[in-house]
Amino acid sequence: MNKSLIHLLLVCCGTGCVANGAREVYQALKDNLTSDDKAVLAATTSARATGCHGLCAQGPFVRILPEDITYCRVKAADIPEIVEKTLKQGEVVKRLLFRDRQKKTLVQGQNDIPFYQRQTRVALRNVGLIDPSSLQDYLERGGYRALEKSLLDMRPEQVIEEIIKSGLRGRGGGGFPTGLKWKACAATPAQPRYIICNGDEGDPGAFMDESIMEGDPHSVLEGMIIAAYAVGASNGFIYVRDEYAQSVASLRKAIEEAENHGFLGENILGSALSFNIEIVRGGGAFVCGEETALIASIEGNVGEPRDKYVFPSEKGLWGQPTIINNVETWANIPVIMERGASWFTSLGTEGSKGTKVFSLVGKVANTGLVEVPMGTTLREIIFDIGGGVPKGRSFKAVQTGGPSGGCIPSEMLDLKVDFDSLSQAGSMMGSGGLIVMDDRTCMVEVARYYLSFLAGESCGKCVPCREGIKCLLEILTRICHGQGEIGDIALLEDIAETMQQASLCALGRTASNPVLSTLRYFREEYLEHIEGQRCPAGICRELSEFWIDPIICTGCGLCLPRCPVEGIKGEKKQAHWIESDKCIRCGECIDSCSFQAIKVK
Amino acid sequence: MELIIDGKTCKANPGDSILNVAKREGIAIPTLCYHEAFGGQGSCRLCTVEVTAGGRSRLVASCTYPVSEGIEVKTSTPAVEKIRRNIIMMLYKRASGSVLMQKLYREYGCSENSLGEKEEERCIVCRLCVLACEKMGTSAISTVMRGIDKRVGTPYDQAATACIGCAACAHICPTGAIEVLDSGNTRTIWNKNFNLINCERCGQPFATREQIDHVSRLSGIEDAELCFCEECRRKKLVGKMQGFSPC
Repeated sequence: MNKSLIHLLLVCCGTGCVANGAREVYQALKDNLTSDDKAVLAATTSARATGCHGLCAQGPFVRILPEDITYCRVKAADIPEIVEKTLKQGEVVKRLLFRDRQKKTLVQGQNDIPFYQRQTRVALRNVGLIDPSSLQDYLERGGYRALEKSLLDMRPEQVIEEIIKSGLRGRGGGGFPTGLKWKACAATPAQPRYIICNGDEGDPGAFMDESIMEGDPHSVLEGMIIAAYAVGASNGFIYVRDEYAQSVASLRKAIEEAENHGFLGENILGSALSFNIEIVRGGGAFVCGEETALIASIEGNVGEPRDKYVFPSEKGLWGQPTIINNVETWANIPVIMERGASWFTSLGTEGSKGTKVFSLVGKVANTGLVEVPMGTTLREIIFDIGGGVPKGRSFKAVQTGGPSGGCIPSEMLDLKVDFDSLSQAGSMMGSGGLIVMDDRTCMVEVARYYLSFLAGESCGKCVPCREGIKCLLEILTRICHGQGEIGDIALLEDIAETMQQASLCALGRTASNPVLSTLRYFREEYLEHIEGQRCPAGICRELSEFWIDPIICTGCGLCLPRCPVEGIKGEKKQAHWIESDKCIRCGECIDSCSFQAIKVK
Repeated sequence: MELIIDGKTCKANPGDSILNVAKREGIAIPTLCYHEAFGGQGSCRLCTVEVTAGGRSRLVASCTYPVSEGIEVKTSTPAVEKIRRNIIMMLYKRASGSVLMQKLYREYGCSENSLGEKEEERCIVCRLCVLACEKMGTSAISTVMRGIDKRVGTPYDQAATACIGCAACAHICPTGAIEVLDSGNTRTIWNKNFNLINCERCGQPFATREQIDHVSRLSGIEDAELCFCEECRRKKLVGKMQGFSPC
């Protein structure tokens, strides 16, 4: 921070906050600071549009440093008051502070909000603190020091050795040891060699990589340049899905700045290394997150995977040795090189070192981005950081690993999350999506939903995946419609096994996970649908019937206007009842009742 | 190098696929999407076999798996057979109108089950037609859509300018899924109508003008030389060779 500055204001301009008016907030702040009568303020205060602050449920944020006053859900109209009271008079605007609902207190500093207290931000170390369009900001946070150290003080094989020692495993889903990938690439004699960054984050509800590309693009570039030096590559590609316009803009600007300052291009930092990075925009096909499909897409071919009996590290882009890592993996490289492998291995578990960023979404109070050391339990993530399930409902399951992941039940909340524990639980780390589900979630319907997603997003090349998904989806759909048959569970398992064993790529091999993991932990629910003709969560319409428990119902009348068919009857302060012949089983009444008086028969 | 397939020691060259070696050795592995002209695609997975390499066993597609020294391959194990049966069962559900799929369904002893409505179509999306079209240098058809809706078609399902009506796609299709309608001097294929030209020798309609032009352009052989049907071309060739006969 410039010494004449008294205040630094960080405005979260991550995609979620922008959708909630963050740009207007930032503009209002700029306008207020530069208006004439506050000339003193303009000289001593700096406003910075940053990447995602993480606690998306409470955005847009304005964070004031050095005091660390964090204002939540700020609107442009709040800015004059913030300027007047906080900046000029040093008063805190209490109504904008974070409300800790459990302790019933107001929290002033970001670091005191429980959501942040238990996090360890490594990959996200700069996100939310720097202006992503400013190379200067990145440099002030120690940016490109790791590159300098690697390039000028270390030999390429020492760099690879350090990454191997760090135990870093790929954050994109597979969890393959990054250093070994680099080593295999360096050991393949063919030239040229390529570096690819996989920014095709396609899991529904996931935005870890997006936040890094948007909020700290230079860390990704720096990671890639270090790899280019380690394996002797001269060209790099960042593959970003087309939906991520802000990421593309942010990366473009960063590449331009890095080129202008000698971090990219010919003879980087005066060394013999020459390296360029190009952005390739993907069309948004989920399967292009699979590395061989992504490579095919960069080559200009249809984004379909190929058999990986020979890894891309030997034969990748245009048949040449290629390192392909995901955004979060790249963002970890500079910090490992700067602080050393032994620092990195001090975080995490035996088999999974470091931290992992999760996007915590679904039925959880504090939705947002969370970075914790590997080995943190699901309970800590969902309840201590996430604030638990809202509206007094109970936790039922958490879906991890994206569409091809699995659902983990409440009995396993103390599972220490890492690559291996999640696989053993029948799910996977994937790229780090965590979708929390409450008791109003039907697990058969969840499996059906994921299969319907995959039905549209599989590439459709190989038979086990294409036809298998189609069969599973048909069976699940009929179970949800009350037409399930006794043999259906065995049939689901039989087809799922063939998909796991015989599909061409990881998408197909894991596509049956949503079915298998729900069958493993929620088999009873399937049986209830098939044999009992009942959906216990009250989601599948053909299998749900609602009634109001007259003992619990207070007659508050909240549900009455929510019913679209006027099917709820009853006087105020008297127990209500549902006219079953009118009821269309939409579930609106259940979701509106504060006393959980409405039950599923 | 050497590898073992079903207990038999086989010689192989680097770059060979397991399927190549098995074919050379007369060991049968079933396939649907494989053709010698194009190599392995790894899409139907019917050629799945069990490979043991470095003490570790896995199920792989034999048409794309590159051989290495000392691997052991089993082409028929209970796991492999189950995969093949399920693949046939699922493809039959999709293309029960295909005679080949009906035959395979019986051969693999697939049981009646509740996989739901069978579909009458014949295409199994093996993509041999697409590869044949590509090899012809036309690429008029390709796979379109994604996921369970993937199918073969021309761009926007309209008559493709690139299509020369050669019907190579229909010839290679293992399930007879591509319709070629020859009636008098017209051929209809992929929603496009062509005029068939007559053989200079026997007068029978045999090829489209576009096909003759395309082959002539690619091969440098003059149009006039190409205007004979297959039968007559053979006869012509035999006649020529008789002329050259040293006897």
